[in-house]
Amino acid sequence: MQDFILALPLLLLGAGTLTALAFSRSGWSASRLGWLLSLFALTSFLLILYAFTLVPSGKALTFTLPWIPSVGLDFSLYLDGLSALFALLITGIGTLVVIYAGQYFGGDASAWRFHAYTLLFMLAMLGLVLAGDLITLFLFWEGTSISSFLLIAYKFKDEAARKGAFKSLFITGGGGIAMLAGFLFVIHLSGGADFKTVLASGGFLRASPLYPVFFALIAFGAFTKSAQFPAHIWLPEAMTAPTPASAFLHSATMVKAGVYLLARLNPALGQTDLWFWTLSIVGLTTMLVGAYLGFKQNDLKPLLAYSTVSQLGVLVALIGQDTEIAFKALVISILAHALYKSALFMSAGIIDHETGTRDLRKLGGLRRQMPLMFGITGIAALSMAGLPPLFGFLAKETLLASATHPSLPPIVDSLFPLATVLAGALILAQAALAVWGVFLGKPADEKHPPHGHDPHFAFWLAPAVPAIISLLIGLTPVEPQFLVEFLADAAKAAYGDKVKISLALWTGINVPLILSIVAVTLGSLLFWQRERIRAWMTDFLPNFTTNALFDGTVSGLDTLSRTATRLQGGRLRVYLRILLLSAIVLVVLFNGIPRQISLPALTWNIEGLNGLRMFSLVMLTVSALVSVFVRRDLYAVIALGITGLGVAMWMALEPSPDVALVQLIVDILSTVILILSLSLIPRKLRDRANELLHSRRGMVRDALLAGLAGLVVAGLAFTALNTRPRESVVSPFYAENAKPLTGAKDIVGAIVVDFRGADTLMEILVFSLAGLGIYTLLHYATRKSSDRTREEPEKRLKPNTPRGVFNLPTSPMLHTLAYIMLPLAFLLGITHMMYGHDQPGDGFTAGVIISLAIAQWYMLFGYYETRRKLAWLNRNNMIAAGLTLAVLNALGGAVFGGGFFSPVDYGRMLRLPLPPGFYLTNSFLFEVSIALSVMGAATLILDNLGHPREEDLEADADLAALEEKQ
Amino acid sequence: MNLLTSLAIGILFAAGIYQILRRNVIRAAVGLVLLSNAVNLFLFSAGAYNGQSAAYSTAAAQISDPLPQALVLTAIVISMGGFAFVLSLLYVISTRYKTSDSDEVKGLKN
Repeated sequence: MQDFILALPLLLLGAGTLTALAFSRSGWSASRLGWLLSLFALTSFLLILYAFTLVPSGKALTFTLPWIPSVGLDFSLYLDGLSALFALLITGIGTLVVIYAGQYFGGDASAWRFHAYTLLFMLAMLGLVLAGDLITLFLFWEGTSISSFLLIAYKFKDEAARKGAFKSLFITGGGGIAMLAGFLFVIHLSGGADFKTVLASGGFLRASPLYPVFFALIAFGAFTKSAQFPAHIWLPEAMTAPTPASAFLHSATMVKAGVYLLARLNPALGQTDLWFWTLSIVGLTTMLVGAYLGFKQNDLKPLLAYSTVSQLGVLVALIGQDTEIAFKALVISILAHALYKSALFMSAGIIDHETGTRDLRKLGGLRRQMPLMFGITGIAALSMAGLPPLFGFLAKETLLASATHPSLPPIVDSLFPLATVLAGALILAQAALAVWGVFLGKPADEKHPPHGHDPHFAFWLAPAVPAIISLLIGLTPVEPQFLVEFLADAAKAAYGDKVKISLALWTGINVPLILSIVAVTLGSLLFWQRERIRAWMTDFLPNFTTNALFDGTVSGLDTLSRTATRLQGGRLRVYLRILLLSAIVLVVLFNGIPRQISLPALTWNIEGLNGLRMFSLVMLTVSALVSVFVRRDLYAVIALGITGLGVAMWMALEPSPDVALVQLIVDILSTVILILSLSLIPRKLRDRANELLHSRRGMVRDALLAGLAGLVVAGLAFTALNTRPRESVVSPFYAENAKPLTGAKDIVGAIVVDFRGADTLMEILVFSLAGLGIYTLLHYATRKSSDRTREEPEKRLKPNTPRGVFNLPTSPMLHTLAYIMLPLAFLLGITHMMYGHDQPGDGFTAGVIISLAIAQWYMLFGYYETRRKLAWLNRNNMIAAGLTLAVLNALGGAVFGGGFFSPVDYGRMLRLPLPPGFYLTNSFLFEVSIALSVMGAATLILDNLGHPREEDLEADADLAALEEKQ
Repeated sequence: MNLLTSLAIGILFAAGIYQILRRNVIRAAVGLVLLSNAVNLFLFSAGAYNGQSAAYSTAAAQISDPLPQALVLTAIVISMGGFAFVLSLLYVISTRYKTSDSDEVKGLKN
């Protein structure tokens, strides 16, 4: 349970975030809230410090929680020297930053948002360095990207802030995804995501042929996060964040995430030539570019940001080395840089806050007004410049020692020291520039000298603490033993071997010291000639910016997404074409073009020809083609009806009489409701639609597409038909068990009503829902005003002269026919229900047959007359009764038969005297319920599609007006 | 016969597709029915064996495969429900947009 202590700081920071949110409406000032929240950060700091004392030297403390055990994923935490170094920096500087942010925003009661983001970021960052496996690390890594986005865009009304936030998220987020891909390789190869496994399989990973791939992916992620050239462009723009955020994220913590990752994985992936060259080249380039660009800046924050870029380059280059001294330099530099840079950023924020500007061209001569700030900034700047007796001096000395290490290969052994000296000189000049430009010298603008004074204690405390620590570490005569051991532990975790650390400033006159003196001299010269050099740099030297690349990428992605969006231009026919084409391509792709079709199979098989089948095929083909080519839609509908008849005939010859019967009556019913619904659409509209022209090209294209689709389907059908007979397990089972289990001679009927009864229940439900859907659509969706109330028809309707479909008068002979047909249809339907088990036809057929007779009424008498005469026809009750009966009947099977839908013969059970051949089974009741619900739904459909519309007249008027306008 | 049957299915299918791609939404509805007819026929061709007799347990000869028949039976019913719904959509389109040209129907608002 001891290791649970690792999770506590994270939980605490999460609680802190929630606290900040909870105080959103409290009206507490930022400063008060800052003090409260700093307690969370401080406690986390102390907890980590305590946890670290539990870690035996050189070992790690781990905490594991199963996350997704099925894929072997854990949430795990890991604390060793390296994590502890970063974790203490994060929580330590975090505590100061929270207090500082409170002072920075002062009485602003809306700054709780900033506090919440800061704590959220601290949580993510701490999780990142404490993560015990690659997946947990990735999770928190993305967390830092997102919370940093929120912090940079804190002043979201400012466009520059939004742009900077987007840029940082785009670059670091993109790097994060590449990194995840690299992680997956590593996890796959090493067989585990946790660091113990990964670090132990270093040799195997380095020997893998995939090593360059995952190395490149992971390095890309680390480089983007740590602002390495050419991905450095996001860091200066992230300076639009409020200064407390910059001090925290962009100096001490987030930008070091990449460095942390590289250092963490160094024992597993490092110490190869590829590692050395990539990290050295990228790191040293970044170091020079950052130092060079920083020297050009006039704004304090970008100046500090570029020097951070430079320092990050140094750290990356150091991890690339394979020497003990490099890792000594690494840990010292990390600590030294975090201390002085956070102090400088916070000081810059104070100067900005007090004087209203950070521009070196407006500041100057503030040493008398702000002596305290002068002192703090001065100390931190001296450390940045790498001058004794500050901690920064030690960092630079060890860096130079590492740069002149004899193990370096040729060329590098001269370039590395040279670049380091040059960058060191430039950084020194920048440090001088910052101090001189703000506190010393004269105000750049004599007429408007800057005004400001030292802030109160709580405000300057935050930058003072790290600055003073920088000074103390350098000044103490005796090396603080715990710090030495602590840094040695951290370096060992990154290097993989023991690293000896000493914090003595004076190591005698040696090469690093001489180089250091050269750098200081050169830096002083640069500072002395700063005006000239800076002007020259601005005018003549390149900017080393890759913004064009970034902008190009972003606008390229924009164009790509616009193109993708254009495919969805709102034209359904275009979608359909794309879908069809894709379906065709996929079918052909996965099936291949059949090569096994033997030619004999393709010849006309005269013996198999069947006159009636032939006739049905010709009938359906020709009528389908007629429906395509005929001009008027009414003719197309009639041709469609004939196609359906042809299909029914073909089915009857299959032979499958049940299906043929259903097809026949459904075809008729479909044609009827199609004609009814056509009558709803104003004639003018339909005529205009009939005249719609398609371009010749469009027609050819559609014909080609349709032809291709038809060919594919024909090919599939041909293959299926030619490979008969096939083995089937299901069909013989049904054939053998239909009679013994259900008592039905009709196997198809038995399948529909008994074997797959639940299917059929769903089917009638869907059919009823279609009816209800139509009702809803026509009654609520099309209603323009709520004036049309839906009264019970029989109350409102008066006798009317019967007028049929299309408002045509109908003959009395037909009326008589309709009167006769309805009872006949009922009779026929009941017979179907009663004997459907042994003959073609079933409840569905019965329902449709009765509906057809009703449809005839609608066609002949029109809506009003039909409703008046058939007032007893209540569709809603029929649907409800049908569905209820179906469910009760199925439950009856469960009660009496031993299972849902189990067959029960109620007739025999109750010993009822029934006519021969008729069995009162629950199958029969199911048929009745099917018939009822189908009748109800069909009547509902007829009712709604047969209803003459008041809107029709309105639409006609609208159309006339429209045409007049044209 | 197999060749002719599959050709007929293909033609029916192609006719359906072509109709669905017309601008006139009424034609598209007609195409939908053609397509469902073609698909039902196609399902028949996916049956496991041929038969000379209807699928009755009393049949003397080899019966036709009852499984695709039962499936097609369901399919016919469902497609009719769907078809009726499509028709009511046609009506809604014609009243709302005063057109039955699918190209003119853009956006789902009034």
